[in-house]
Amino acid sequence: MTPVGLPHYLVLSALLFSLGLLGVVLRRNLLIVFISLELMLNAANIALVASARFLNRIGGQEMVFVVIAVAAAEVAVGLALLAALYRQRPTVQSNDLDALKF
Amino acid sequence: MSILTVILLLPLLALAALAAWPSRQRVMFQAVTIGITFVELVLASLAAWQFDVSAAQSFQFVQKVPWIPSLGISFHVGVDGLSVGLVWMATLVSFAAACASWEIRERVKTFHLLLLLMNAGVLGAFASLDLFFFYIFHELALVPTFLMIGIWGRGGQRSYAAFKITLYLGLGSMVLLLGLLAVFFLAGQTTFDMVELAAQARQSPFPVARQQAVFPLLLLGFGILASLWPFHTWAPLAYGAAPTPTAMLHAGALKKFGLYGLLRVALPLVPDGARDWMSVLAWLALGNLLFCGLVAVRQKELDRLIGYSSVAHMGFIFLGIASGTALGITGAAVVMVAHGMLAALSFGLSGHLYQQTRTLELDRLGGLLRPMPFLGTALVMAMLAACGVPGFGNFPGELLVFFGSWPPRPAATAIAAAAALVVGAVYALRAVRKALHGPLPDAWQAADDLSNPWRRLPFVLLLAGLIGLGCFPGPLVDRIQPAAAAIARPLESAPAPAALIPLPAAALTRPPEEASR
Amino acid sequence: MQTLFPWLILLLPLAAAALISLFTRPHRDLSARLSIGAIVAGFWLTLLLFALPGAAAQAYETRIPWLAAGGLQIDFGLRIDRLSLLMALVVTAVGGAIHIYSYEYMRGERRFSTYFACLSLFTFAMLGVVFAPNFVQMFFFWELVGVSSYLLIGFWFERPAAADAGLKAFLVNRVGDLGFLLGILLVWSRLGSVHFGELERRLAENPAALGAMATVAGLLIFCGALGKSAQFPLHIWLPDAMEGPTPVSALIHAATMVAAGVYMLARVFFLLAATPHWPAALHFLEGLDALEIIRIIGLFTALMAGLIALQQDDIKRVLAYSTLSQLGYMVMAIGLGQPGPAMFHLATHAGFKALLFLGAGAIILALHHEQDIWRMGGLRRAMPLTFWTFLIATLALCAVPPLGGFYSKESILAHAWHQDKLVFALAWCGSVLTALYMFRLVLVVFGGSPRRPRDAQPHEPSHIATWPMLFLAGLTVLAGGADVEGFLAGGAQGTASLASRLAGPLAHAPFVMLAGLAATGLGFAMAWGLYRGAYRDPLPARWSTLASALRQRLLLDAWYARWIGGSFEALACLASGVDRWIIAGAAVRGVHGSVELTGRLLRLAQTGKVSTYAFALGCGVAALLYWLIR
Repeated sequence: MTPVGLPHYLVLSALLFSLGLLGVVLRRNLLIVFISLELMLNAANIALVASARFLNRIGGQEMVFVVIAVAAAEVAVGLALLAALYRQRPTVQSNDLDALKF
Repeated sequence: MSILTVILLLPLLALAALAAWPSRQRVMFQAVTIGITFVELVLASLAAWQFDVSAAQSFQFVQKVPWIPSLGISFHVGVDGLSVGLVWMATLVSFAAACASWEIRERVKTFHLLLLLMNAGVLGAFASLDLFFFYIFHELALVPTFLMIGIWGRGGQRSYAAFKITLYLGLGSMVLLLGLLAVFFLAGQTTFDMVELAAQARQSPFPVARQQAVFPLLLLGFGILASLWPFHTWAPLAYGAAPTPTAMLHAGALKKFGLYGLLRVALPLVPDGARDWMSVLAWLALGNLLFCGLVAVRQKELDRLIGYSSVAHMGFIFLGIASGTALGITGAAVVMVAHGMLAALSFGLSGHLYQQTRTLELDRLGGLLRPMPFLGTALVMAMLAACGVPGFGNFPGELLVFFGSWPPRPAATAIAAAAALVVGAVYALRAVRKALHGPLPDAWQAADDLSNPWRRLPFVLLLAGLIGLGCFPGPLVDRIQPAAAAIARPLESAPAPAALIPLPAAALTRPPEEASR
Repeated sequence: MQTLFPWLILLLPLAAAALISLFTRPHRDLSARLSIGAIVAGFWLTLLLFALPGAAAQAYETRIPWLAAGGLQIDFGLRIDRLSLLMALVVTAVGGAIHIYSYEYMRGERRFSTYFACLSLFTFAMLGVVFAPNFVQMFFFWELVGVSSYLLIGFWFERPAAADAGLKAFLVNRVGDLGFLLGILLVWSRLGSVHFGELERRLAENPAALGAMATVAGLLIFCGALGKSAQFPLHIWLPDAMEGPTPVSALIHAATMVAAGVYMLARVFFLLAATPHWPAALHFLEGLDALEIIRIIGLFTALMAGLIALQQDDIKRVLAYSTLSQLGYMVMAIGLGQPGPAMFHLATHAGFKALLFLGAGAIILALHHEQDIWRMGGLRRAMPLTFWTFLIATLALCAVPPLGGFYSKESILAHAWHQDKLVFALAWCGSVLTALYMFRLVLVVFGGSPRRPRDAQPHEPSHIATWPMLFLAGLTVLAGGADVEGFLAGGAQGTASLASRLAGPLAHAPFVMLAGLAATGLGFAMAWGLYRGAYRDPLPARWSTLASALRQRLLLDAWYARWIGGSFEALACLASGVDRWIIAGAAVRGVHGSVELTGRLLRLAQTGKVSTYAFALGCGVAALLYWLIR
């Protein structure tokens, strides 16, 4: 059995990222879309951490902390926006929110 | 301070003063506008009188105040023989337009402020010797035109007309701006001053290939502004929808900016680029003269007919410019002055007619010479002037254009003469026949003539100007001719491309039947 | 004095026109007096110029600069020589008589002052043509003659027929003027001058100066005369122009405007007679020269108009076609290379044709604007003076000795006889026609018994109208004694005695003279046989096809209206359609539309759905990555 190397982590990260992207593009429920976004962020985090570990560069791990902090803030703002939006239009389906076309 | 600066500042100062005036006192606004334009007319007449004919190719009444030295922009005004007549004509037309503004009943204050702005823009465009101000003043006059048509215009098509003229002339101005900037960069980005640019172009002409790229931009830009065929369809529509003073000022004075620009900027600065385009311009001029003349024949409304006739008259000017001879360019400049007065007269009269009858449909009018002897006679004279009858200002100009254009292009000149003499007579006299002659319909029995001498005054002045120019063209021609000769010189003197092909001279001069023997 | 008088002659009518239209319009009498005074003063001044020692002997010019630009120098000047003096005398004498007559004829007119202003303007324009020393000035006044005739013919503008006639006259003239202008431009570009004297000198120095365009230039200039002198194919305006007031018809269609064409041809005869030469494109015309074409057109017009005159029922139209026919003779004389006889016939014709028109005007006034000759009849007793003057003019027109018309017409016929027998034979037929239609007119109008309502009592007009008629009758009788040809040729006056001149035709060409008299006699006999005591025209019953063709003016007017007018309208329609649908429609709206269409297409991408944008974003990032890594 081959030892787990950098490519394995990167493939996992790419798979997670693609799943997240698919979720963003295909799902209509805004909460799911939101979770998928987080999935994409964390996929990037895995790639960063793994690269830092295998390349012996500490910068990648520092960056992950920044990303986690930003993601936390973003979740707060995003959920607040969703809640505010829900008061205007009682829906969490993204298809119903298309007032911004042309 | 130069007399020209005074003429330019007057309307702007009046504008500032009137802007603070309460808008309830309507009479005040018209009175001040008429007064200011009258003072301008007097000053411009004075300038034209004092103009030194012996030095007509150099600029006089010059004033130069640096403004942005790093870009070479300065407030620079002055007139030579070419523009002195135009400035005088523009003040006369402005005065007539101000007098005709009594038909405006709503938002009187705004209208007169815009009229003054337009007036300042027109005069500034003709007096400026700096490319930057030359362009800015024209835009300054153009914007009020759009607003006036949109707000005070008449007829069902007025928003469409306002929209169309805005987009069309906006496009023309943009192309023109590109061309002017190209000239600026060609000349080394040092100056916007036309006099310096012209001197530079004379001493060390710009590379021919560059000139050939720049001239089409200038031709298209100026051509759209002057309703060169086939970019003319905005004109009749806009003039038909515009309030009378706007139509008078735009058709009379402002539209000449495009033609003046061709003569002042395009030909002197890029003569080598211009030469190849001259035959194209000559055929486009026929488009104006013949095609728009024929379209004018089919018009069913008097203002549209006059609009198309005005477009057709641009053909003479383009033809004169395209001849590239001193004679033709002089003729073109004379027609510019004469047509300014004629267009203002025609639109002023048709505007008054509209006030009386509320329609300008030719089929519904008729016999109006009887209830309106003054207006009818003036309209007959305007129409006769429009078909080039001697005694009116257009005749000497058209004659000079024909004489100038015949040697280089006999065929085009012959077609132009046919359009002028025959087609012109058909549409002009058909208008007279339908609107003024024939039996009088009951509806217009009580139509009111211009009985007030003050309301007659602008028309009398314009007619006097036309007849004076028609009978005594000498003073104007003497002023224009040296400037026109200076413009024509680089066009004529440069080596013709035909000289590159070696041909025995005898083969060119000998008639073919002798050669075959 | 020699320079002042011509200026006065020219400018007095202009001053009168300006004064009337600016100031004296409300004062009818004063306006008329100003106008009449100007032309009568002109007449006396012209006579004085003749009388001044040496004035008529040699040509001289006076000029002021008018316009100078780029090598073109145009002066405003006066050329006084025998030709222009003779013409000025004709214009002021006949025109003056007509002015005075107008005072009576137009008495009740509402726009009386305006009428006289137009009349004076017309006189000014005509005198300008007469004295013009260069082509441009002649063209200036030439056009002005057209304009003032437009105003006069359409004077009763409320009548659609009159307004249309004015329009038609102006337009047809404009077509001729187009040729004239092109001819001027052509001559200027080849010879470098527009001045008559200078042109003649340069052409004499170098007869080939006009090169291949010599004949074309001559014919283009002839086009101007074609319009003004109403020659085929531009003759159609003149009969319609009879819608104007009768004095206007007398002025325009007898003495002045139509004569201007012949006068101009005489003035520029040196150009017409230049060495014939055609450009390569018109090679097939080689052998014809300008004068031959002019001769053919003149002769054809003379015959055609004479024929049409046979079947006209309107008294003024008969006279109009008669004018056309006589103008044809003058143009033919020019075409024979004889400007002298042409001018002689012009002078005599101006007198007697004006007299005929004035007589017609008197009849029309007396019968309350009745113009149909078949409703007149028996006027000889009611209007004896009109009858006798009309008869004198008719005899002059039919070339009966010793009246003026006899000498001028015999001279033309004699030259035709010497040069071309065929032309003479056809011109002789024209003489027969002349006598036939004129005596038809006289017999029907004055002879027989009255054919009008019982209560109408026609009477002579007042003295103001009869004096001009008597004056013109006197001129007609005496004109035969004037040696116009000799005068124009430059010979000293009085070399030949009066008696020898009066007997001249018999001495020089007895056959021609006898043939001419025979033609008149034949025409008179035919008229006598056909129309004596007739109540309606016998011709339509006998030769119906011919008569109806003649009544419809040989179908020319209808044909013109249909084909030339129609094709012009079609062309205008086409241009208007192209302007509306292609330029304003397809091109301008097309640009507008394509911008709009692009916008609409791009709009489809803006769904407003977050997932679409996210998908696009993902694709974009993927593409970017691919591009970066590759």
